[in-house]
Amino acid sequence: MTQLVTFLAIAVGLLVLLLVAMRRQPAHAAGSAGELVSAKKTLESLQLGLLPSELVEQLFGQRDLAYVEAMGSTAIRNLFLSERKHLALTWIRQVRRQVRALKDFHVSRSRMFTQMSRGKEFSLALDFASLEIQCDVLLFLLRWGGPYAAPDFARRIAATAGRVCSTLDQSLAFLTASISPSLASESEADGTFE
Amino acid sequence: MAGKAKRADVLAASEDLRRRTLPQTSGPLDRMIYLASMRDYNTGLYVHQGLAARFSVEVACEALADCHRESFRELISLELKDLTEQLNLYMQSTGTAKDDFLRTWRELEPYRVAVPVGTDSLVAQFLFSNLKIALAILEHQSARFPEPTPVA
Repeated sequence: MTQLVTFLAIAVGLLVLLLVAMRRQPAHAAGSAGELVSAKKTLESLQLGLLPSELVEQLFGQRDLAYVEAMGSTAIRNLFLSERKHLALTWIRQVRRQVRALKDFHVSRSRMFTQMSRGKEFSLALDFASLEIQCDVLLFLLRWGGPYAAPDFARRIAATAGRVCSTLDQSLAFLTASISPSLASESEADGTFE
Repeated sequence: MAGKAKRADVLAASEDLRRRTLPQTSGPLDRMIYLASMRDYNTGLYVHQGLAARFSVEVACEALADCHRESFRELISLELKDLTEQLNLYMQSTGTAKDDFLRTWRELEPYRVAVPVGTDSLVAQFLFSNLKIALAILEHQSARFPEPTPVA
């Protein structure tokens, strides 16, 4: 009973915080061009580098494992599993870091540039929150269970992150045509997003 | 307008490379290493005298970079089994003794300097990791089925 009350109190607290955050009006339309460009680059890095389904499938799919197991060598199998575990951990850490960077950017800046509906904002907030938790859970599972501990869960994380990226991409679409090469290089020089 | 014309030249130069030079390679791994060897270590620019004479230094450089990225993408999309086969083909094409090749590649990891500039670090790591495993597989196969020593 006590656990239920605690759980409900936390849930209500989080909901109130969320509502307060949604009602908050932007103080000023600040936000440097460099930050916007960095956010766009983080999005691209996720969409083109980390989340493509081919890469996710190669990392978490089991065809390579089947090939290695057919070799019948324990040493090669161990090497393969250790390499894939390292890659899977690097993947989930990078996804988590970049999702967090996008969340920070969205909370602090992008609301000033977009007219996002409350419903969409709420759904995005939920996606951000669930992604962070899911990334931590997958990190734990990969550490203890190895690279093939939860392949479907990894695919689901990639799909959710892809959905978040696509929503944010729409809100930053105005940047695509207007990023000048000089601005992009300036952002690369001082970019701290990635 | 000038940009479009230049892009058309780059496409023509890439096509020229794909038609004349690259078919002589044994596969995407061989292609990636060949194209990486066309790149100046200090400037990162690709140099190909023949292509530059037909087009321009700049166009040749961009065409080589495009083909390099293309071969890298091809390699990345391969399953481990196919990558191992590519490594075997490349090893045979060099004419180096199997054991020497495998040892040198394991120790020097020359593939690390063969990826295109701007490659996502995780994707590059993925290729390095697969090549490391492919090397171990070839070594394992080599130990099980050693090459016959030539009789004097």
